[in-house]
This record gives sequence, structure tokens and C-alpha cells, in this order.
Amino acid sequence: MSDKAGLFRPDSLSEALHLLATVPDSRPLAGGASLIAMINARIVEPAALVSVTQIAELRGIRVSPSGEIVIGASTRHRDIAEETRLSGTLAVVPDAAGQIASATIRNMGTIGGSIAHADPGLDFPPALVAAGAVVEVASTAGRRRIPIVEFFVDWYATALSPGEIVVAVHLPKPKPGVGLYLKHRRVAGDFAIVSIALSRALDGETHIAVGGCGPTPVASAEADRILSCSTSGAALAQAGEVLTALADPVDDVRGTAEYRRLLIPRMLRRAMFDAAAKSAA
Amino acid sequence: MRVDGAFEIDLPREALYRSITDPALMAICVPGCENIEKIDPTIYRAAVRVAIGVIKARFNLVVEVTQETPPECVQSITRGEEGGRASQLTATNQVSLIDLGDGRTRVEYVSDLSVTGRFGRFALGIMRKKAQSIANEFADNLRTRLVAGPPTGSNAVAANNRGQSE
Repeated sequence: MSDKAGLFRPDSLSEALHLLATVPDSRPLAGGASLIAMINARIVEPAALVSVTQIAELRGIRVSPSGEIVIGASTRHRDIAEETRLSGTLAVVPDAAGQIASATIRNMGTIGGSIAHADPGLDFPPALVAAGAVVEVASTAGRRRIPIVEFFVDWYATALSPGEIVVAVHLPKPKPGVGLYLKHRRVAGDFAIVSIALSRALDGETHIAVGGCGPTPVASAEADRILSCSTSGAALAQAGEVLTALADPVDDVRGTAEYRRLLIPRMLRRAMFDAAAKSAA
Repeated sequence: MRVDGAFEIDLPREALYRSITDPALMAICVPGCENIEKIDPTIYRAAVRVAIGVIKARFNLVVEVTQETPPECVQSITRGEEGGRASQLTATNQVSLIDLGDGRTRVEYVSDLSVTGRFGRFALGIMRKKAQSIANEFADNLRTRLVAGPPTGSNAVAANNRGQSE
């Protein structure tokens, strides 16, 4: 940030949205887990920051009358990791939240900030895809809801328009079943090399999303259909092939693209075994 | 970092060669390109906008054509930086045109690209993907402009703006 950079701390959402719409080159600041690190590294230099963490309506988790679970955008990773109402098929979300980086970062980072940053190695994006989330966003022009698979559009790019922020993540009413997040990383606290988010209802309905293997989480209606019908070795191999074919990983310090492609079917198999073991328990 | 690829276009090689060496047309087809200016017979200056997520940058580039073999091959060196020297970029490039007959040409390109500074620090693994997507968009823009009938003003603008919409 330049020396003249401003920090605004509005108390209401409408005030925050007004600031973001009118202050040139302003950015919303939530927990700062990514943005402050990027400012310190001089990767981005916004002219102004609009802090949203003191806005009460963006905080906390509530259950709607219909049983839908609504997570406010400034809810911290730690609070999501400990949330017992995110159970059954939605357990994938707290499982992923508890594996994000380190305890320090889980105490700072927020779900809204995480998905708006849309780093391909993050843990929430695949977990929310597997859970069938819908993202509620707002700007001075009003509110709208975006299905999670349409929210992530490219490397570090989302469907958010300028001046628009994430206000909540809506999750469908949890079904009895299993949700889990399998993360392969170099060391504790690192980004995923490859991750598998799994949500499987008792009736067999299964949703899988792969993290770290492309610009957006890799998911496929066909792979979900295969795994919902059968968990045979052949079905697992077939679903693994479908997902691997859709992956578009990069070569980086965490591993080569080829290595990531090899991991997808293996980790899928392990995630399905873990899910079976969890349901039997 | 090596970025390479190829595409085919329904245009005779000579005509295509004239097109890809026409700065005004390149300014329209290169995604994010704001202008290209010819400084001397082999040196061009260009301004190109690139965005990866929160990083939105405007590179000031100098392209030096080092070897021209009409209508087969152009070699060039691109050097440039963002304002404030936040990122620097150097690339050696070669574009080859292969006559496929029947008025069709295959374009092969290879570029050895190095990026330092904030882009390099932030997302080196993703730079290659980004470079590849810019190249694909360029091929689409070129096709739209040269092959898909006489372009209207709005089409050309639409094609050019795709690269800036991120």
C-alpha cells in the first residue's frame, strides 16, 4: 500500500458496499490471511481497504427455517471447523476448514475471503462444491445468489463483479451420510498438492470435487453418477479416469502436473474407502 | 519457461504473413493490447494489460524483430516491465508459418519466457497457463478477424475486449 492508503471500518454492510463502490482502487479486507500477506510482499498495492469483519450481519452460522445452513462471510475457519450442525453429508465443510493452513491462520481467515481469493490450492472451494453450496453476494446494486460451480471461473478469478462482496455461503439441509476432506500436502500447514472433497448420503448419492488440479475445483456429474450407483473397483477406476481427464494442473514447487494426475484416482479410492469405514463406524 | 503451441487458419501463407506483421491488426488481436507503435523498421513498442486474479498489470513492452524470413518465419525478442518495475518480462519468440496447401496455413509458435517481480513471486506455475490462454485467445481473435467474413467494428472490439475482461 502507498503511504496514503486508507483503512475504513464501516459498521454496516450498506456502508461497506457504498465505500467499495465509490473509493477508487479499494478492496474489501476480511481476516487478511491472504490479502495482508500479499500487500506485505508488494504483490498488490490497493489504495484503500474496507474492513468488513466488524459488520455483525456477516458473522456467524445460522439454520434457516427450511433447514438450510447459512454461513456468514466473515465466519472464521476455526468456527466452521468446530460447527456440529455441519454434519452428515455437510461434514466435508468443517473437515476441510480444520485442515486449512495452521491454527493461527484458522483464527484469522474467513470463508468469504477464502473463496473470493479463489486460489486453486485452497481447501474451501472443493469442499463447497462437494457440499452443493450457493454463494450470496451483494453490491450497491443489490444481492444475488451464485451456484458454487459458477462462482469460480478461472485461476484466482470469480464471478464477483467490481464492488461486489461475498455476504454468505448457503448450504443445503444436511442429509444423513458422510462428508470428508482428504488433503495431500508436503508439510502440515501447506496448500494442497491434490485434495478430494467427498459428500455421500446414506442412499448412495455421492458428490466429489478435486482441489489443486486446475483453475477451479474439478467436479463431474458423470463421476458423481458413477459413484452414486456403484463403489466397485471398476466404478472407482472409471470415476477416477473421468476426473483426471478434466483436471488441468500446473507444474510448481509442490509437484508436477503429471504427479497430480496420478494422485487423483488413488486419492479418490482412498477417500471412498475412508467414507465406507466412517459410515460403518 | 517455454510456451509453445500451434493453430491452423484458413488463409494462404503469404496473406497471413502480411497480417501477423501488421502492427495495427496485432493491436486488435493480441488480448489486452492497448496499442502498438512502430519505432523503427524492426522495433515496436506496445502496451498490454494482463490480469491474474487481484493482480492487474499494464506491461510496457519493446518488441525487436531479430530475423524475418518472409513468408516462413519471424523471430523476435520482447522485453518489458510494469510501471514502477514491479515485474519484468523477457521473451525470445519464434513464429513459423507452414503452408498446408488449399489456402490453409499452420502457425507454430514457441516462446522462452521469463517473468520476475510480483507476477513471478505470486503465481509462477500459473503463468504458463495464462500465457497459453492468451495464445489461444489470440488465435481465435485472428480467425475472427481474418477468416470469418469482413469484421464489423463491434466484433473487433468484442474480440479485443475478451482479453481484458478478467
